[in-house]
Amino acid sequence: MSDKLIIAGREFASRLFIGTGKFASNKIMAEAIEASGAEMVTVALRRVDIDNPDDDMLSAIDRKKYLLLPNTSGARNADEAVRLARLARAATGIEWLKLEVTPDPYYLLPDPVETLKAAEILVKEGFVVLPYINADAVLAKRLQDAGCATVMPLASPIGSNQGLKTKASLEIIISQARVPVVIDAGLGAPSHASEAMEMGADAVLVNTAIAAAKEPVKMAAAFRKAVEAGREAFEAGKADVKQQADASSPLTGFLRD
Amino acid sequence: MMVLKINGEDKEFAGVLPATMKELLGVLKVDEATVVAEIDGQIIRKDNFGGTKLTAGQKIELIRLVGGG
Repeated sequence: MSDKLIIAGREFASRLFIGTGKFASNKIMAEAIEASGAEMVTVALRRVDIDNPDDDMLSAIDRKKYLLLPNTSGARNADEAVRLARLARAATGIEWLKLEVTPDPYYLLPDPVETLKAAEILVKEGFVVLPYINADAVLAKRLQDAGCATVMPLASPIGSNQGLKTKASLEIIISQARVPVVIDAGLGAPSHASEAMEMGADAVLVNTAIAAAKEPVKMAAAFRKAVEAGREAFEAGKADVKQQADASSPLTGFLRD
Repeated sequence: MMVLKINGEDKEFAGVLPATMKELLGVLKVDEATVVAEIDGQIIRKDNFGGTKLTAGQKIELIRLVGGG
């Protein structure tokens, strides 16, 4: 089994992707990215604040070291997502894209119909599309067939830190997918990330759990270890779960006849 | 008074309108290296900021990367 993650022909040594939202400062963000070992970081697009035009977070990210993955957050339908994708490409010159279409402001759940529609358009335009989806194995297959580079099913709602609420459905996706499966959204603790990796996820994407921790840099390092441990455990192959005890020590006794 | 609609807000220019996108960014003190621009829904390529003429009434969007998940 190869330990390297390959997405659209590009090799990643780290299976942890980091989101750059919600950090208290660009400095803490940059240090957390470094501590996480991540090689891919997500970014969003927003209007320039004309009254405060100097606010530029990009200068804090070493683009030689990290692949930027712009997202289409804020898009409520396929048309808006496609427009954001084109702007992202014009802004960054890169074709990698986290496609997200979230019309529902309360749970930020992704719209499967609009996501598939946008993915079909963007793949034709040459984008490397990584779609954020609910944990729906049929949708995952449709997106894979449409030419998406990965699928990124959610563990629980974005920023909720609830962990692997969709576990059973994620297991189906992992067992069926022919593209890498990146568990995105809702992973609130290193243990969640580790469990996702033990299940056989190819990577995880974490933002809030790191950015909103009391010590984001330390938490980034904790996630790094958890993802590595979970991956190693998956590769090692877990021992079977049993109903009854199965002695670890030899039972050939000598205390009694 | 000349008006451009920039990021959803009317911005008035007394006298002369910035002639090009490059000039507009200079007036607004926006670093052109970090921004992507749309005029009336059409993306303007960065290398064409200097050659893109502006006319009153246009809808301009100035977008940049921010932190996000």
